[in-house]
Amino acid sequence: MKIMSDAKKIENPTIMSRKLLFLHKIPILKTRKFWDGLKEGKIYATRCRKCGQSYYPPQADCFKCLASDMEYFEIANEGEIVTFVASYLVPQGFENYQIPYIIAIVKTSNELKLMGFIEGIDYKNIKVGMKVKITTKIQPDGFPAIVFIP
Amino acid sequence: MSRKVAIIGVGNSKFGVRDDALLQEIAFEAVKEALEDAGITQKEIELSVVGSVGTRMYEALPAVPVNEYAGFSGVGLIRVEAACASGSAALFTAYNAIASGYVDIAIAIGAEKMCEIDTSTSTAVGGRGGNYLWEFHMFGTSFACYYAFYATAHMNKFGTTEEQLAMVAVKNHKYASMNPKAHLQREIKLEDVLKSRIICWPLKLYDCCPISDGAAAAILASEDKVKEFKIEDPVWIAGIGYASDTSNIVRRPDYVGLSATVKAANIAYKKAGIEPKDVEVAEVHDCFTIAEIMAYEDLGFCKKGEGGKLIEEGQTYIGGRMPVNVDGGLKAKGHPLGATGVSMVYELTRQLRNEGKNRQVPLKKYIALAHNIGGTGHYGYVTILRR
Repeated sequence: MKIMSDAKKIENPTIMSRKLLFLHKIPILKTRKFWDGLKEGKIYATRCRKCGQSYYPPQADCFKCLASDMEYFEIANEGEIVTFVASYLVPQGFENYQIPYIIAIVKTSNELKLMGFIEGIDYKNIKVGMKVKITTKIQPDGFPAIVFIP
Repeated sequence: MSRKVAIIGVGNSKFGVRDDALLQEIAFEAVKEALEDAGITQKEIELSVVGSVGTRMYEALPAVPVNEYAGFSGVGLIRVEAACASGSAALFTAYNAIASGYVDIAIAIGAEKMCEIDTSTSTAVGGRGGNYLWEFHMFGTSFACYYAFYATAHMNKFGTTEEQLAMVAVKNHKYASMNPKAHLQREIKLEDVLKSRIICWPLKLYDCCPISDGAAAAILASEDKVKEFKIEDPVWIAGIGYASDTSNIVRRPDYVGLSATVKAANIAYKKAGIEPKDVEVAEVHDCFTIAEIMAYEDLGFCKKGEGGKLIEEGQTYIGGRMPVNVDGGLKAKGHPLGATGVSMVYELTRQLRNEGKNRQVPLKKYIALAHNIGGTGHYGYVTILRR
């Protein structure tokens, strides 16, 4: 009865709802190069061939000129920490991740910002402005991730 | 030319872990109080607008049971969602229906149950409040993480301290201890906040609002109806501002303020014909302590970067330059998502009628402001009330 013990001071009578599980099949056809790239240590953004607008996260359609003709480009593999956090929360789906997990937003030399994990360092030793190398990995649970190495 | 819209009745359920009641039973508490406050019955109401995020509830379409239980079956019904600003979106929808001349009386009901599921699931649902695929999917960014990004950047750029963040919590707990409808009705000390466990560094437990159940309701009416009902000196909606920001947080220029607040506030101030200094009491979206500090700045109550100083000087207490969240705020009154925006208007309406009792703010101009954010500035609503 995990659910019941998690809520505070349950004293009133309750009944359990029927189980409802969602697992979504997420289409990646239009951003496939990004998802494939993560497996090869590459992070791709897109740029509109018509107007030059670049997008990270990558998107297939340009909201600036309404064209749908994008080219992929690899983002710089170095950047600077803009902000970061150390999370002790365990959201459903992240039960096997070590806490605290450190998440940062990094600005690259090509002026794009991206999110990633910082691993192997205590958050107390991280500072805004710190330079990091940008890489990717496949987590033990099979999900890809972007990782920053100070 | 839009018509004037008044608030003629308000209600608010008790906020908290409400395992004693269903969503519709909690909504009923708020609706009953609002109907009695307005001195009307359901028959007078032409449109029911229910603000509810709903993603944590077993009722997937919550407006339907809420509406039936409160005795509104048959009237026009809309459910609106604007994340944590769903309550303000409901008010805005009801306001527009009246201002446009389409209806004369509408009710905005904000209702949310968040405590029926476990914390891990709630955290995962809340983390989907920005962009699931490009952020939560890979990084498990909870809601606390999003505001923690802003806290780290704000502290780094302006020297805002953990103590200043803690002072927001101390203030809001003080007022919640005086509010019988608040979730956390107890005062806390600065060191309680500083010593509380880390949730998402730099935010600690007492920097975060609790997970709450609750509901609030507001009945809105046209000027014609106000005259017909012979309501003297009601509270008027003077202006509503609205804005949004990028879904992906990485697409924003910086993390020291919410542009949705700035934009929504500018619209609201212009519509109401006032300036920030005219506001005498404010409810701001303090889901995390850093959010209240940024709200001071982004609403123009102080200069950018001086929000920490404003709370340190005690200026946002009753008796200060700009009393903020004198009902306990989201931080201590609680934040049942869809209810929050309507609950802010409940408090401010009572303040403007001088019904604030031991929490009454002294007023001269009778101008109040409600600032309600959805997500991490993904939606922004600013509502200005005047009497």
